[in-house]
Amino acid sequence: MKTAQAGTLESMDCIVTVTEAEKGRGISIVMEGASVARFGEAMVKATKDTLKSLGVRDIFVSIQDNGAGDLVLKARVEAAVRRLAGGKAA
Amino acid sequence: MRLRRTKLYLPGNNPNMLLRGHLFNPDGVILDLEDAVAVSEKDAARILVRDVLRRGDFGSCEVTVRINAMDTEFWRTDIETVVPCGIDGIRIPKVENPKDIALMDEALSQIESKAKIRVGKTLIFCLLETALGIWRAYDIAKASRRVAAICPGGEDLRADLKTTRSPNSEELIGPRRMVVLAAHAAGVDALDTVFADITDDAGLRRESEWVKQLGYQGKSVIHPNQIPIIHDVFTPTAKEIEQAKKIVEAAAEAAARGLGAVQVDGKMVDKPVVKRAEFTLQRAGLKAGGEK
Amino acid sequence: MAINAAGRNIPDSIPGYGEVRHFKGHDRRPPEGNRFGKRNRTAFNTRTDKTLPDIKAAISASGLKSGMTISFHHHLRNGDFVVNAVLDACAEMGIKDLVIFPTALFGVHKHLTKHIKSGVIRQIMGSVNGPIGQLASEGGMSVPVVLRSHGGRPRAVTSGEVVIDVAFIAAPTADKYGNLSGAVGRSACGSLGYAHSDAEYAQCVVAITDNLIPYPAPCIHIPQFFVDFVVSVDSIGDPAGIVSGTTRVTRDPMRLLIARNAAKLIEATPYFRDGISFQTGAGGISLAVAAYVRDAMREKGIKGSFGLGGITEFFVDMMKEGLFERLLDVQSFDLAAVKSIGENPNHVEISADWYANPWNAGCAVNMLDTVVLGATEVDRDFNVNVNTEADGALLHGIGGHQDTAAGAQLTIITTPLLRGRIPCAVDSVYTVSTPGEVVDAVVTEFGVAINPRRQDLINAAKEAGDVPLVTMDELIETAEKFTGPMSPVETEDRIIGVVEYRDGTVIDVVRQLKKK
Repeated sequence: MKTAQAGTLESMDCIVTVTEAEKGRGISIVMEGASVARFGEAMVKATKDTLKSLGVRDIFVSIQDNGAGDLVLKARVEAAVRRLAGGKAA
Repeated sequence: MRLRRTKLYLPGNNPNMLLRGHLFNPDGVILDLEDAVAVSEKDAARILVRDVLRRGDFGSCEVTVRINAMDTEFWRTDIETVVPCGIDGIRIPKVENPKDIALMDEALSQIESKAKIRVGKTLIFCLLETALGIWRAYDIAKASRRVAAICPGGEDLRADLKTTRSPNSEELIGPRRMVVLAAHAAGVDALDTVFADITDDAGLRRESEWVKQLGYQGKSVIHPNQIPIIHDVFTPTAKEIEQAKKIVEAAAEAAARGLGAVQVDGKMVDKPVVKRAEFTLQRAGLKAGGEK
Repeated sequence: MAINAAGRNIPDSIPGYGEVRHFKGHDRRPPEGNRFGKRNRTAFNTRTDKTLPDIKAAISASGLKSGMTISFHHHLRNGDFVVNAVLDACAEMGIKDLVIFPTALFGVHKHLTKHIKSGVIRQIMGSVNGPIGQLASEGGMSVPVVLRSHGGRPRAVTSGEVVIDVAFIAAPTADKYGNLSGAVGRSACGSLGYAHSDAEYAQCVVAITDNLIPYPAPCIHIPQFFVDFVVSVDSIGDPAGIVSGTTRVTRDPMRLLIARNAAKLIEATPYFRDGISFQTGAGGISLAVAAYVRDAMREKGIKGSFGLGGITEFFVDMMKEGLFERLLDVQSFDLAAVKSIGENPNHVEISADWYANPWNAGCAVNMLDTVVLGATEVDRDFNVNVNTEADGALLHGIGGHQDTAAGAQLTIITTPLLRGRIPCAVDSVYTVSTPGEVVDAVVTEFGVAINPRRQDLINAAKEAGDVPLVTMDELIETAEKFTGPMSPVETEDRIIGVVEYRDGTVIDVVRQLKKK
């Protein structure tokens, strides 16, 4: 399975790791970090919105969060997905 | 005239600084896609910088992006990504050929008209980081109406001059003087390079005082703690402010009465002196500056 | 049930805590009763040696039994060995169901979790942190934790609301007849201020030392007539965890920015004048505020009167320089403060009673001009939370927060507006530790919000011109723009923590976290 990653664990950032999933498997997201308790729903929504706008339907996403807001999370998801598509796999 | 005492570099792949850097109240921020970003991270930084620019919350800072040099594969994608976000300007590293500036001008115009931004809105700040760039400073500054400032380099320039850093940066005395001369001859700002030792507050103050005396408008900044020191140096003293107020008031009064000549304390005052007094008040934060 | 003056819905009675006196607002509960203290006793001149061979012997001699209340001070901070050693001894002796009443607990006391789980400890009255806070928050204690401020605690002791059966006092130096000093010895910690009321009011006082010296000890902080037994052990603590070496001002730009904003506010107020008194913590932002204020005092030629509270090298140097006349020290944070309190008569040890108890004829915080405090959250009404974290877990004590805020003329809360994604300015804090009515300003990297109640300060700041003023509504809005809306903390109904205001009324409660 091809995998790609973007982001850092600096403050207000996150590491997003995306892994190819078979067609029809849908989107699965796992998250860890201090903000998950209060912002978990928002993080899922931001991730799904970004994937949708990039036309991704089947993917496995792992988020290691260190306080990223939606803006940063979305940018990291986009970068990771583009890397996956562009063959810059980790 | 826009106040450019401090231009703070914000590393392009660092969300914390990109989102909060303007809180340190520099006169401008430089979102950096060049040296602060590893080659393997250029793509991710570009996306992040784009989204932070779209959010567009930088207080009253002048917003510029340092793109990658024009001899790299990155610069076109850089400007295509950031210019449509409506930035104030781009900062181009390692400029040494006026033709490159003309090329950039054209590229910017295309992007601006496509993005329905006023053509010419995006200013150009040129980093002159080689001996050749310094030598051609005037021609570079004149290569496009977009050029707002030229800036001498630091470490790269030292390397190109085949020298190293000395305690008082004597090796950069000549280049700094050439750049300030070319800038004023071409009618653009002269902005100084960064002071690298972020723990040496006294050294930073000394260097700032010196470049201010040479005629520079400000410095680039690599650490937020340097900002208050540089502002302190470039902010006029109470005595200077008092004198400038007198001159500006006298000029306003003379204009209101339709007089051409301005008198302060019984002495005639020339137009450039009035202009300088206005600039002094602007630096003191007592008069709004520039386009904003 | 009643909605109290902080807007919190609190039951009239809480299992394991008892009847609730509802918080009715700052300074609204009049003092009650008298001070009497411990039962009288005598020591004939035939007993001139109070030493016992070990902690177990002292526990036996003290008459400690299951179900009783024992107290500790926290002057040894994260270096403390004594709390753990005493509870280990109690466990081995089969004593259980104890109420422990420390002035604060630290990370080193996570060792106590095993005694909580085994039932040696039934209840904690005092701050909890780290693993113990997590355990309590998840419902791991049968009785709620009771949190009191540094002034509320001696109030509870001197008024008889809490009766201490045995106080175990870690003493860096002691003589055989029970004179105790914090200023000397290999485990020196300086002031013993938090231990005074315990020494005076506990039914039995056991001193535990690792520096037993001939009678009489020098620099006596707690005198012999309070102390019943003395035990000598190999070590009461790890000096590295007791005091920090030198205290340096942070170079972190965000903290410095917040500190600079706070200092600008202080300089803009009428309190910045000759005779100013000042308290800050030892945290990064607080210390940086002190540094900026010191620079401004130098520049404007202003001489202060006293520095209060937890004392650092920074304050010691300011006194040496003549920027303070005196230091009133309830807790000495570093080596320089410890040395100074032992040598300099202008560096005065004060007890927690003297420092902050609202029920005496006047505590030190009442004489304070300016205090700089921290927060985990603040809200629209300027209420401050210092007890719980964003996930709803009880993780910090109140410290002197309520007391200094209530006493000082100018109470400044410094906090970053954003800690990662967590906003520190919110619509309503999760836990009210200090009521907004005693908070004057909140200072963040995004600007300074002054409590509208203090129009005088707003005017002064406007006049100064360099204070970046914003409203609390703006701070909350800015924070939310970054973070988006938060999901609520999910809790059970069960109350696991009771937050008392310094007057003994209940200002808020903390509920058990729902299992995920």
